[in-house]
Amino acid sequence: MSKVTTNPVFIVAGKDVSDAGRDRFILLVTLFLTVAAIVSLVTGAIALATDVATYDAAKATLLALGKPIDAIATPEFYPLRLLRGAIEQTEIIGAAIAILMGYRAAASERGRQTLALIMTRPVRRWQFLAGKALAGLLLLTGGLFVVLSLGAIALHLVSGVGLNTMDLLRIGIVWIVAVAYTTCFFLTAFILTLWMKRPPQALLAAFCLWLLLVLIAPQIGDTLDPDNQVAGGVFAQLHIAKPDQVEIMKGFATFETVRTGIEAASITKHFERFAFAVLGIKDTYAGVPLGAILWEKWGDALFILLASLGLGGILLVLPIRSDRLTKE
Amino acid sequence: MTSYSATTTIAAHAVRLALRERMVALLGLLFIALVVISAWLGWSATSTVNNIYVSAAAFLTDTGQVVPPNPVHNISPLSLMRNMVVYVALIGALSAIVIGNRLVALDRRNGVVPLISIRPVTRAGYALGKIAALVVLVGALTGVAAAISAITFLVLPQTALTGAEWLRLLGYFGLSATYMLLFGLLALASAAASRSESVGLLIPVTIWLALTFILPSLTANILPTAAINPIAALAPAPDTAFFHWTQTLFGPLSLAESYKIASAALLDFLPAGRGGILPLAATGWLFTATALSAASAAYALTRMDRTTGDLDV
Repeated sequence: MSKVTTNPVFIVAGKDVSDAGRDRFILLVTLFLTVAAIVSLVTGAIALATDVATYDAAKATLLALGKPIDAIATPEFYPLRLLRGAIEQTEIIGAAIAILMGYRAAASERGRQTLALIMTRPVRRWQFLAGKALAGLLLLTGGLFVVLSLGAIALHLVSGVGLNTMDLLRIGIVWIVAVAYTTCFFLTAFILTLWMKRPPQALLAAFCLWLLLVLIAPQIGDTLDPDNQVAGGVFAQLHIAKPDQVEIMKGFATFETVRTGIEAASITKHFERFAFAVLGIKDTYAGVPLGAILWEKWGDALFILLASLGLGGILLVLPIRSDRLTKE
Repeated sequence: MTSYSATTTIAAHAVRLALRERMVALLGLLFIALVVISAWLGWSATSTVNNIYVSAAAFLTDTGQVVPPNPVHNISPLSLMRNMVVYVALIGALSAIVIGNRLVALDRRNGVVPLISIRPVTRAGYALGKIAALVVLVGALTGVAAAISAITFLVLPQTALTGAEWLRLLGYFGLSATYMLLFGLLALASAAASRSESVGLLIPVTIWLALTFILPSLTANILPTAAINPIAALAPAPDTAFFHWTQTLFGPLSLAESYKIASAALLDFLPAGRGGILPLAATGWLFTATALSAASAAYALTRMDRTTGDLDV
């Protein structure tokens, strides 16, 4: 047997991955996220097709009246923008699924009374924990690969536009950051389930954190955005051009700092900003070279990476308490 | 012991037990904190829009342009509470799920179900007691939220409500309690029917996730992050055959969307002329779904295995 396969970290990880293969849970949650992502992608494509049809009809009307067609703006089409729904589903439902996986990784050992048994074997505590974390990382990597691959195929089919190498590279980069992002939630739930007295309470605590970080902090930041307070946007209603908007908003610098500060406290917002920029979903990044985007957005990716590494460090440093080896 | 007093005893005991649970208390406090934040957010955001208008009006006047009317004047004072709709749909529903789950899971985990079964308590009495406890707890949570909102309206300047608006506010909290009960009852049913405590919790959470983030995307192209914005969540569906069909087929099931539409109508921030699901239909679907959820809870509680006293993790 090779040295790699006898390493306890890989043995523990391998067992968890093979267990996941037999257990329908991982398959079901991956399917759930895939369905959510593809539903968003397809409905987005249908909505876009409606916009294009409206534009074509308006263009035909103008041509029939003998008027120039530059009176209406040509809709811009960036196929990767259709992945917006898939990214949003990953940041919300993907994070929730990672919590469930982290919870199950610890709760299964406590529930089956195997945690106490493992502690009696010649396996270092960190090796066992690293093996469990590695298995979670591998399962998230595989699950998100399936989701984004099927999303890319669906994107190709519904948009009718072939994806080039650069598009696939952009999706690949987002996939790596998505794995790091979901790993943070996996590790949070795993640590809490190992540490709290009752595993179901740990699940609830992890969901509370999920609510605060994934939904409430971005929601508060989003709500405080003045442009989101009036249907259609306050500046659109006042017919004020973009450069003038910037000038007016200079008088609200403190308010904007607080608002963006609340958003920046959420790891989800960092993931969203990075993914939306790399995929050109945000208007200002559409058509911008990948290198320039990565240069500007490396801070968001670093935040996520450091958060996942930090949680990994906490997992390895915290001792396993002897009164937390079983489910009660 | 009469059936009535047994039911009352079970309900009172269940309420006391749930209140002792730290997680229930934590979620309840979080919900109340968010209700306060919601009031502040509504006030702060509206004030900022007003200040932006003042700055923009000065700018437009200086540049010789026409100054449009202030959009804040078109906003009803009730819409100050628009963020509450999102918080009820998120944390209110989740709190109700946790309460519903705890009401049954605690009995099962503590091993008292077989003991209760040897007492003169009918299955129907037990089920009724648990449902009554859920109604009391969800009602208390909604009552606190309503009281905070009422105080906000009484304290904040320029937000005097008319009698009709107070009634609308009351109607909104009634609707919110119904929406939370829908999930609490689902959690009761799931906790009674599941062999595992975790599965009992995960089933209603999964249903909540699908209703909140997937169905609105299917019926109205509302993406998940738009679902957490009270204004963006009300964007009308694209006018295509596909969305007409999905609204017909899945509209009655898209309960999170229905709750937001009915709430926006009550709190007076539903965009004028918005097509799609009508507020009255949305309210009807919500009440129907809650009645079905109550029936499922009663069915699961009356058929719960009363011979075993423990749950799997």
